[in-house]
Amino acid sequence: MSEPIVEFRHITKRFPGIVANDDVSLSIMKGEIFAVLGENGAGKSTLVSMLFGMYEPDGGEIWVRGKKEHISSPRYADSLSIGMVHQHFRLVSNYTVAENIVLGLEPVRKLFGIIPYVDMKKANRDIAELSERYGLKVNPEDVIEDLNVATRQRVEILKMLYREAEILIFDEPTAVLTPQEIESFLKILEGLRAGGKTIILITHKLREIKAVADRCAIMNRGKLISVLDVKTASTDEMAKMMVGHDISFTTERKPAHFGDVVLDVQNLTVRNHAGFEAVKSVSFQIHAGEVFAVAGVSGNGQNELADSIAGLVKPSGGKVILNGHDITDSSVREHIQAGVAYIPEDRHNVGLVLDFTLRGNFPLRLYDTPKYSRKSLINYAEFTAQSEKLTAAYDIRSARGGETIAREMSGGNQQKAIIAREIDMKTPLIIFMQPTRGLDAGAVMNIHKHIVAERDRGAAVLLISLDLDEIFDCADTVAVIYSGSINKISPASEITTDETGLYMMGVKTA
Amino acid sequence: MLDMIIIDGLSFSLPLFVMAIGGIYSERSGITNLALEGFQGFGAFTGAFAAVYLSGIFGASSDVPYYASFIFAVIGGGMFALLHALLCVKFKADQVVSGVVMNILAMASTSFLTKRINTSFFGNTANKFMLGASSRITLPGLSDIPVIGAVFKDIYPFEIMILVVAAVMWYVLYRTVYGMRLRACGDNPHSADAAGINVYAVRTVAVFISGCLSGIAGMSFAYSVSANFSPDIYLGYGYLSIAALIFGNWNILPALFACLIFGFARSGGSAVIQELGLPSSYNDLVRILPYVLTLLLLVFFSRHNRSPRALGQIYDKGQR
Repeated sequence: MSEPIVEFRHITKRFPGIVANDDVSLSIMKGEIFAVLGENGAGKSTLVSMLFGMYEPDGGEIWVRGKKEHISSPRYADSLSIGMVHQHFRLVSNYTVAENIVLGLEPVRKLFGIIPYVDMKKANRDIAELSERYGLKVNPEDVIEDLNVATRQRVEILKMLYREAEILIFDEPTAVLTPQEIESFLKILEGLRAGGKTIILITHKLREIKAVADRCAIMNRGKLISVLDVKTASTDEMAKMMVGHDISFTTERKPAHFGDVVLDVQNLTVRNHAGFEAVKSVSFQIHAGEVFAVAGVSGNGQNELADSIAGLVKPSGGKVILNGHDITDSSVREHIQAGVAYIPEDRHNVGLVLDFTLRGNFPLRLYDTPKYSRKSLINYAEFTAQSEKLTAAYDIRSARGGETIAREMSGGNQQKAIIAREIDMKTPLIIFMQPTRGLDAGAVMNIHKHIVAERDRGAAVLLISLDLDEIFDCADTVAVIYSGSINKISPASEITTDETGLYMMGVKTA
Repeated sequence: MLDMIIIDGLSFSLPLFVMAIGGIYSERSGITNLALEGFQGFGAFTGAFAAVYLSGIFGASSDVPYYASFIFAVIGGGMFALLHALLCVKFKADQVVSGVVMNILAMASTSFLTKRINTSFFGNTANKFMLGASSRITLPGLSDIPVIGAVFKDIYPFEIMILVVAAVMWYVLYRTVYGMRLRACGDNPHSADAAGINVYAVRTVAVFISGCLSGIAGMSFAYSVSANFSPDIYLGYGYLSIAALIFGNWNILPALFACLIFGFARSGGSAVIQELGLPSSYNDLVRILPYVLTLLLLVFFSRHNRSPRALGQIYDKGQR
């Protein structure tokens, strides 16, 4: 940890409508874990993307190993031993782990000394050895689509190591991981540092930075605020710099006043695509003015539960009753009319029409109501009015306002748009599925406030999350789903995080 | 009669198969290819032109025009396919639209050119190049085996050619670096790009190969089904091979199986009509058999089949 391996000197980068990086200068030392902290849209991804050759700076210089470099493409970054794990993994889903890793650098042997072929035996051996050396458990012959997110991430890391990358960039690596997976991921990072690698970690999770990082750069609205030594800085201090003002980490809430039962789920059973019972005879009730939070490790039936209550999937057994009406077999349209709002986990495929404008995305659920259309003719003036109202009220930032194509917006703002649309319907039941996945602390806080506000308005709120902090921040009642069954329902005040964790792992059952 | 079914079935299945392999190359690289029909027609056109021209030089009894015609069909089909690649890869046009346009363009341009060439080169006004049917080979010994012997009886030379080409193409697709990269481009071009692979180049070559292989198919049909090149070459065999490759789940060996089913359905149907002594107009009825079969098979199998994930998606480096 002596000489700087990467230096950003006065980097400026502009995009239409915004300055993503404004005169940013910092240097990263060899062999350290360097975190870049900031809210969504603070410019941290942009900054680091330039090091990986995805964009070129409009002003300033990038120096690598004491040499000024024009990093014009990821391929060039590769030649400088710079590797990056993107937020959305770049893996070929029907290939094996080893095939993915060697892709582009395939070991070749020759049949009868002349006919070349890809030597997968050698590839498998090499990958097994590499994963052994860095303690990254993967089986080289597994096919990617059968693997969970955490394993795929390890494949991405191995891809960089196979290419002998020395500078490893991680863009929001823990956004998709469960608490246990995050633990082991942080261990992996420490192992890589011990192996002499330099790690650049883009994140907005203070706890992770505190746990592993050596130094931390804090960015806000394109500007570098400060570079701190993590050991001596407090999380409060870092959070304050990141957001630009004081924030408190627990959402303030008034005591709950439960009303009548709004949602009554009775013995609900849902089969997944493979015909397997993903939700097994689940029963619970949610009252008006109650946040009912379902905790659980990813893949235990949460998606199917939410989709079936929202009407996207037909349950194979049981009943869903909303305000006394049986909506089990109703269509999605009838669910909307009955008063179910849904913030889905899959923002891109379920939540938004990515190629529509932001303005066009807001009325998606109500476009057929008299407000937005008369006699099949669309009232665009109303679209615009709604768009202006919601973007202002929910602070949705985008380059061209309502005319921005949804695809071009940042993940945080896409999520804000969905939440704004759903909350604005003021329905008796609102389902939040992983509402803050991949969002920064400021945005998370904001969304939690909305969740509690919905409760206070008298809505029944179903919150499904992998994040225990989120659950305990918002919940009045905590339920734990494990392997398709709810094995614990308890008032939030009567259960601890640790205890919930045990139910989540299936160690404890009620 | 069984011999006839096998002989005719194979001579129809194999050209279909080589064209399906071409389609697999294109589609596994991520480029939707509805243009096989046009590729095979254009390939057959260039090959037939070469054959007619060369037989004027080498004499009608020479084998040179026959084999040269396949080489020219490969070149012609490939060059024509590059137009599809140009539209889909470079100009990022809609691949379905481009495919349909290629088919129409092939049909119109080759009909026109055939007439013009006949007028100015050969001094007649026909709209076809007469080729004559290909000679056939019977392998001694093997063909004497009961029932299966028919496989080795009365084979067109192009059938052997196709089997050799198919074996090579199988090896390239599943065993070589290029094949591995090609299949990666069809599943996730972004990851291929991140691995330093030039997605555009891989796809262009894949479409070129599909044109070359279709050229072989078109030439084979010209030498077997019709014994000439005329606009009748556009009978929908290209679409049939697309059905075969879908039915074969975008893999080469299952596609061969599908092609054999189509081929035997056709030859079997013809045999039945002959046996029953029905008028030959019923042969047209039999010709729809492979298509009816296609519909049925697709109903039952398409649910389990999965197309390459990035198929038909325009790849733009800059987009996320």
